[in-house]
Amino acid sequence: MNTIVITGTRKGIGKALAEYYLNAGWQVVGCSRGEGSITHTRYLHFALDVSDEDAVVAMARFIKKQFGGVDALLNNAGIASMNHALLTPASTVNRILQTNVVGTFLFCREMAKLMRKSDCARIVNFTTVAHPLNLEGEAIYAASKAAVESLTRILARELGELNITVNAVGPTPIETDLIRGVPKEKMDALLARQAIRRMGEVRDVINAVDFYLRPESDFITGQVLYLGGVT
Amino acid sequence: MPERAEIEALVIESVQLLAEDFEIKAFDKLDASTCLYGADAPLDSMALVNLIADIEDAVSEKFDASIALADEKAMSAKNSPFRNIGSLVEAVAERIEA
Repeated sequence: MNTIVITGTRKGIGKALAEYYLNAGWQVVGCSRGEGSITHTRYLHFALDVSDEDAVVAMARFIKKQFGGVDALLNNAGIASMNHALLTPASTVNRILQTNVVGTFLFCREMAKLMRKSDCARIVNFTTVAHPLNLEGEAIYAASKAAVESLTRILARELGELNITVNAVGPTPIETDLIRGVPKEKMDALLARQAIRRMGEVRDVINAVDFYLRPESDFITGQVLYLGGVT
Repeated sequence: MPERAEIEALVIESVQLLAEDFEIKAFDKLDASTCLYGADAPLDSMALVNLIADIEDAVSEKFDASIALADEKAMSAKNSPFRNIGSLVEAVAERIEA
């Protein structure tokens, strides 16, 4: 049975991805800052902060003992803060960078160690259209995802020798907690910049992730795929 | 705290398994003086990365200790702890003790 690690599975896209791969017959290992919200015989939850190095290492050790290794990692956990740069405190900057950049890096590092024996090892990181669209009010969030994209491209090269592919998916806005509180005019203006002008749906993200995870995608690495026709 | 001989046995076993995996034939003998990494040494950077991950794993399984060999101390050391089996054993022992 294939084992997949998904971060940020308590709600939103992460929860939907976990449920999707459970239905597809995978062993799913998830995590979030709090207790899990999924009950399934093939689901194991860790309550941790993704930027806590010791906790991530301990989680990896447990997975190794329990399942022997990992086949796929979805670095979905992320936080955003929409605010003008002049009104953004350093504590918010640090919090976003810790979760989005440090968390993504730690999971890539620890899970890649567990993927060395997999014949179909995949890492999918999560970015955002806020980066290519240079969205005002999202300077730190977009900057953190720019770092994730750079990490994706370089890790693709470093982990290529281990036959691990590393790619990223960049969703458009989807109805989740992450965009709660964004005014309607702002959202309409954002959708107007997409080639396909509708809100994203979880199925769009699942489709892109599924494409990266297919065994046939073993020659695709270091790529960033934005949804909605954003380039 | 495991004995030094136990750590050395673990490191040598990890190097042996790696040599089989990577088909490295350059090791005549495996003891504390065996060169691992550096100029004219048998391991390339990818083999070293694999060896470090293997040893961290083995230490966790055999000695129930969670160590990170590639930490800032290792990166800034004047003499790399990865140059030979003896120095690697020393590095593992130091980190288990810490």
